[in-house]
Parts: sequence; C-alpha cells; structure tokens
Amino acid sequence: MTTMRFPWRRVIWIAVLLCAWAPFKLVWEEGIEQQQNLLRYHGVAMTRQLRDQLTQGLTIGVLAGMRNVVADFVWLDVTVAWEKYEWFKMDSLINLCTSLEPRSIIFWDNGGWQLAWNVSVAATEDVVRQPNPLRRLHDSRFWIFKGLDVYKRGIENNPQSYKLWESTGELYQNRLADYRNAAICYQRASELPGAPVYLERFSAYMLEDAHDDAGAYAAWKALWYRLTPAQREEKQHWKEKIMSSIRKLENKLNIPREKRVFPN
Amino acid sequence: MMDSSAFAAETVGLTKRYALSWKRRVLVALDHLDLQIKPGEVFGLLGPNGSGKSTTIKLLLGLIAPNEGDARIFGLPPESIEARRRVGFLPENPYFYGFLNGDETLRFYGKLCGLSGAKLEARIEELIELVGLQNGRERPLRSYSKGMLQRIGLAQAMIHDPDLLFLDEPTAGVDPQGSAQIRDLILRLKKMGKTVIFSSHLLEQVQEVADRVAIFSLGRKVLEGSLDDLLVEKQATLVNLPGELSAERREQLQHLLAQAGFNGADVSFSRPRLSLEQLYLRTVKADRKS
Amino acid sequence: MIGSLQRIIIIARNTLTEAVRQKVLTVLLLFGVVMICTSSFFSQVVIDQQIKFVKDFGCGAIGLIGLFIAILSTAQLLPQELHNRTIYTILAKPVRRAEFLFGKFLGVVLLLALSVALMSLAFAATLWWQESQGIAATKATYAANPHWESIPDQVSAYHHDVDAIVTQAEDPQLVEAILLLFAKLVMSSAIALVISTFSTSFIFTVITTSMIYLVGHLESTARDVWLQGGAQVSFLQSGFLEILSLLVPDMNSFTIVDEILDGHAVPWWHTLNLVGYAAVYTFVLLALSELIFRNREI
Repeated sequence: MTTMRFPWRRVIWIAVLLCAWAPFKLVWEEGIEQQQNLLRYHGVAMTRQLRDQLTQGLTIGVLAGMRNVVADFVWLDVTVAWEKYEWFKMDSLINLCTSLEPRSIIFWDNGGWQLAWNVSVAATEDVVRQPNPLRRLHDSRFWIFKGLDVYKRGIENNPQSYKLWESTGELYQNRLADYRNAAICYQRASELPGAPVYLERFSAYMLEDAHDDAGAYAAWKALWYRLTPAQREEKQHWKEKIMSSIRKLENKLNIPREKRVFPN
Repeated sequence: MMDSSAFAAETVGLTKRYALSWKRRVLVALDHLDLQIKPGEVFGLLGPNGSGKSTTIKLLLGLIAPNEGDARIFGLPPESIEARRRVGFLPENPYFYGFLNGDETLRFYGKLCGLSGAKLEARIEELIELVGLQNGRERPLRSYSKGMLQRIGLAQAMIHDPDLLFLDEPTAGVDPQGSAQIRDLILRLKKMGKTVIFSSHLLEQVQEVADRVAIFSLGRKVLEGSLDDLLVEKQATLVNLPGELSAERREQLQHLLAQAGFNGADVSFSRPRLSLEQLYLRTVKADRKS
Repeated sequence: MIGSLQRIIIIARNTLTEAVRQKVLTVLLLFGVVMICTSSFFSQVVIDQQIKFVKDFGCGAIGLIGLFIAILSTAQLLPQELHNRTIYTILAKPVRRAEFLFGKFLGVVLLLALSVALMSLAFAATLWWQESQGIAATKATYAANPHWESIPDQVSAYHHDVDAIVTQAEDPQLVEAILLLFAKLVMSSAIALVISTFSTSFIFTVITTSMIYLVGHLESTARDVWLQGGAQVSFLQSGFLEILSLLVPDMNSFTIVDEILDGHAVPWWHTLNLVGYAAVYTFVLLALSELIFRNREI
C-alpha cells in the first residue's frame, strides 16, 4: 500500500465488477423465474387484497419467505371460527390460506371438506339460528356448493393432484348423490400419478349406481383387460369383484355369448 | 532513490495525518520522519503519549498507510508479505483473543506464519520456557494478568524467529522483576544479531538496553543519537573512590585538586546512588535465597 | 496459493472456535423449543395437517434462526476485530488482508453449516416422532372395529393411509429444501460482510442487511415491472426499480422451498441452479468486500 491518494483504481475495479455481474445476474434470475413458472402454476404475489387481509406482522412474514408459517397460523383460526359458528369467516379464512399457499393440497382438501361436510351438516342441524327447516336445507346446499367450488379451484391450481379429484368424487357421491359426476371424478383421479388403484373400481361402481349399465360394463371390461395374466391368476377379492360385476352386467345387458368376456 | 538494503528499517519524509471531521481540523500524528536503523541495533523511541511513537511502529509494520513519504523494512515495502515474515510485533495493550489459552494462541500465530507440526510444537515449548509461562499456558488469555499478557505477547512476536522486533511499551504495567527479565531478553536478542525497535516512556529502562534513541514530541522527531553521545556529560568527569570520605580526607583531596588547577567552586562531592530498581532486585533476591 | 488457502482455513477455524466457545450455539435451543411446541400444541389437528405444521415451522425456524446467526455473526466480525485491535496482531504476521477477510467469512459459513446440521437433526427427529404418533393414531382408529384386519378393503385402506403419512413425513426432498435454506443464509451473510466493510457500526450493518433481505423478496416483482412496465411506470420509478433489480439478490426465488413443503416435486437440477446462483453471487460479494476493505483505515 503506497501513500494514500483517492483510490481511483479501486473504484474502477468495483464499477467493473458490478457492471459485469449485473447483466449476468438479470439473465440468470429470469431463467430461474421461467423454470419456476413451469414447476408451479404461479407464485404468490403480494396483492393489495392479500395485504389488507393480513396484519402487518404477517405481511413481513410473507415477505421474508415465511409464507407457509403465516398460512398455518391463519389456518388455526379456521377451527376457532368453526367453534363460534362463524361460517362466512371460515370461508374467508380458507380463501386466505389457499391464496397464500395455492399449492398446498391440504388447505384445498380440508377447506373444501370443512365447508361441504362440517358446515353444511351443521347448517342442517342449526335449529337455534335458523328455525325454518326449508331455509336450513337451502343453506346446507349452499355450503355444499361452496365446498365444491373450493375443490374446483384447488384442482385448477394443482392439476396433478389425485386427492382433490377423489374428494370431489366423494362429495358428488355422498352429499349430492350425483353418481355420474362422481364416476367422472374418480376416473380422472385414477389417471393421475400416485392414485390408489381402487379409484378405478370406484368409477365403475358409480356408473352402476347411476344406472349407466353400458358405461359400467365398458369400465369393468377395461379394468379386466388391463390385468396381466399373472394378476388374473391371483386370489384377490377385487379380482373376484371385477369378474362378478362383469358377469352380472353381461347377463343384465344380454350380451351375446360369443362377445362375452366370460362366456360360461 | 532509497538504497535501503543496508538498513533494517528506514523512513524518508514519513507523514501521517488524521482528519478530525467534526472539528474540521487535521491531526498530524507524524510529521516528515527521517529515520535509519541498522541491523543488530537496539533502538529506543521515546516521547510522551501521542508523540508519534506508536504511529511510527504501525507505519513500519504496514498496518496503516502514510499520507506522504516512504518506509522500508530490510529494503522491502512494509505491507509486503516478505517484509512481515521477518518482523515480529508486541502491541502495547493485549491485542489477543481472550477465548484461546496460551498454547492455542502460540499455535494459531505460529501456523499463520507458516510453521506446523513437530517444529511448531517444539518452538512453542521453547518460547513458553523462555517467557516463563508454564503456569498459564492452559488458561484462557482473558484470565491473564497484565504481566502474563506481555509475556505471551513477546512469545507470539518471536514465534517465527524474526530478524526485527517491534516492541510497543514492552514493560508497561509489568513488575520490576518482569521488567528485568524483558530487559535481559532484549540484550540476549541483540547478542543473536536481531534488531529491536521499542518504544517506552520508562527512561531508566531504555537507558539500560538501547544503543540509540530518538525522542519524539507532538509528531516530530526532536532528537536522535547514540546514548553514549547524548548522555555523556561533556562538561565534567566523574572520579570513583571506594569507601566513605571523612571530612579530613575531603579537605586533602580539595587541596590536591586545587593544586592541579581545578577551581574549588567547580568541584563537588557526593555519594553514588543505587537505582531503586537495583535495590529492589537486590533485596528481593536476598529474601528469596534466605 | 496453498499457503493462502491454509491461512484462510486457520483463521476460519479460529472464528468458528470463538463462536462455539462464546456459546453462540445455545441459541439453537430456541429451535428445540419451537419443535417441541409445534408438535405438542397442535395435537387436536388432523395428522396430515400436523405433519404439515412440523415441516413448515421446522423449515421456517431453521430459516429464521439461521438468519439471526448469519447476520449477527457476520456483522460483528470486523467491528469486534477492529475494536479489540486483534486485527493488528494478525496483520502484523505474513497474512494478507484478503486472507483475513475470507477466513473470517469462511468461519461464519462453517458456523452456519454446523447450526443448520444440528437443527436439521432435531427437525428430523421431530418429524419421525410425529410420524410414529400418526401411524399409531391411525391404527387406533381402524382398531375400533376388532376384526378389521380380516377385511381386505380395510387393510388396504389402512396401508394407504400409513403410506400417505410416511410419504409426507419422510420426504427426501426436504434435503433439497434445507440446502436451499442454507444457500440463502450464506448469501445473506455475504451481504452483511459487504456492508460491514464500510460501515462504522454494528447496528447499521444489521439493519441494512435485514432491509436488503426483506427487499430481496420483492426484487422479482421490481424486475418484472422494470422490464415490462411500459407506460405506467415513470422514468424515476423505472430508474429506482432498475437499481433494485441490478443490485439486490432475488430472495423470492428461494421460496420454491414452499413447493417442496407442500409435497410437490422440485428436480435437483433446479435446486443446484439456485445453489449455483447463490454461490456465484456470494463470490461476487466477497470480491466486492475485498476491494472495499483493502485500504480501509484500521
């Protein structure tokens, strides 16, 4: 270090370093952003609406990358609201959580379930707040469809999730008795990665319940033909079920002998 | 052009200023210092606090940069690695890590100097022995007394066997016995051909070890020279006689001197005095022996 | 070159030793407390939500506590050395300023690695405990029907439920998540280092670094607006956004960790891309620190 002068050389080096890095940095960051847009549907932007719903501390938490923790805290309030019969607040909180974490299957799934099952049943039984039985029925259906909407938005955000399709199917099956739609949902679910095998069979069951015998027959046949020879030899209860269902439907539909899967 | 290879340390016009921004004044810590220290010398930097002694040392170590002028260590720029390989520094207050113990401190600094393994361990043993820190080597430095800190400081300064040692106030806060040991150490280093530059304002101690001194005041070197040249009273001669002088004898002597041409008024008689340090050491040693 | 590296490592080890002996790691006990609270306080919640809480809070705590350690440890590196003047004794030895600076930084990185490793162990242990609790609870639910094990549908449903719990708890992608968190911490540490090379106060360094950390999460938005803003953005605003986009790191890209926590797949090449970005950025910041620190008055 020679005598002290204004360190021009150093300032120039610093400027060169920053100028060289800046465009490189931009390109790299844009690349990362594109990759992430492909990997996930969309990130969470701090919109005005979101910011208004969160308190200041939580906003900083979201900014600092603690989004999930913030959403978890908000989620705890859902149970609190449930105990106070504040159903619209539950809906609003569920919306907030799913806005913060649109990629969390748990929030969509549990949220939809809370509304379509818990709240809608509670609405049916809430004699105190709603003495009119017709209105109670109306409210109950209102909450079922609210829950359904949550499932649907969840599926939009997470198209690869079998769980949400399965839950929607259950809703159609058990709360709305809409077996046709249930069948569609179970079928879609079964095609997605990680889906349990029994969902395929559920779809066929639903078609039967919807009195769509031709459709059910096609479904069961498809299932049978997808089995490998080894699987066909196994002694599994579901294999027996497939076989018995096919036989039953072949009889019911009067399929000619030579076209039957099990001619005898 | 400085032909500096002949000198252990040399400065030409070395200046250091500090800007006191809130007062819009400039503090001149060192004002155009010219200094030349030969290898093998023991050189003392004297002066009151704030006179520029520590600044000079730090400039020569390359720790701070001058505003004007040039400094060289064995002909090399002080901030260069080569120069610092040949230099050791004992700072004036303990500038060490309190959480390390004696051994670990020496090992840390030794490794930084490029020593390692068995050689380093041997050197550590040697130095602990030399500075007398056997008791404290396992304890963290934050528990050390001032004297112990000076000792570990000396040890780390010498860990890589440098040719030139800078000692900033080496005996400040040390008891007389420790001081004496440090003094003996400096003399021993000199015998080994090392150069020692030290600053102090304990004048008696400087007197005992230094070959040459420079006196600083307010950032400027005011006086420089060898002790022999500077201190010898050129205007008088001292005659030493054994034993006490009775009044009679004194008169006899004065008569003799008058005969030899010495004016009676210019002649004085007094008892030589021990230095307090000599008395102290003599007493303590005697006490220890008994 | 090798000597340089050796000196850097010596100083790094010394820095780590100092931190450990000054009991910096006791702050990790906080993490232990968080883990215990998370797993025991929310026991009324369904198991998949509970495991979600443990994962979210665990990674959140590693990120937050790690950030405290990163910023505070780095911010005090230079002020402490300058205040205690220990830097004098080191620089009086044949050590370059750059070696000193990089050595101190490496020490903090080692401290961060150690802290994250310890927290990860506690995190894994809590997850494992939560998983076994969940499996036991699931079995208890099915065992309400004493003959459940002879009903094939029940058995397969039970296995399916247990698999779901295990998949959620034993997610190997969590390793990627922790690696990304660590990379983010190292980058934050480097930012603190740059600021501390010219800052005169510890508090200033801490606050400025924290601000940059927070603003970094908005950098991607700023960049998008600057690059595609068009007519809505004034010249002054555009200039400000440009400076932001060019200087501040994109911290928000690391929130891809949330994808992993939500159970979605993030391929290793993307993780390594982000880690590489953090590494290169850190090196740029280190070079910047060295340039600034080179002639600083000590």
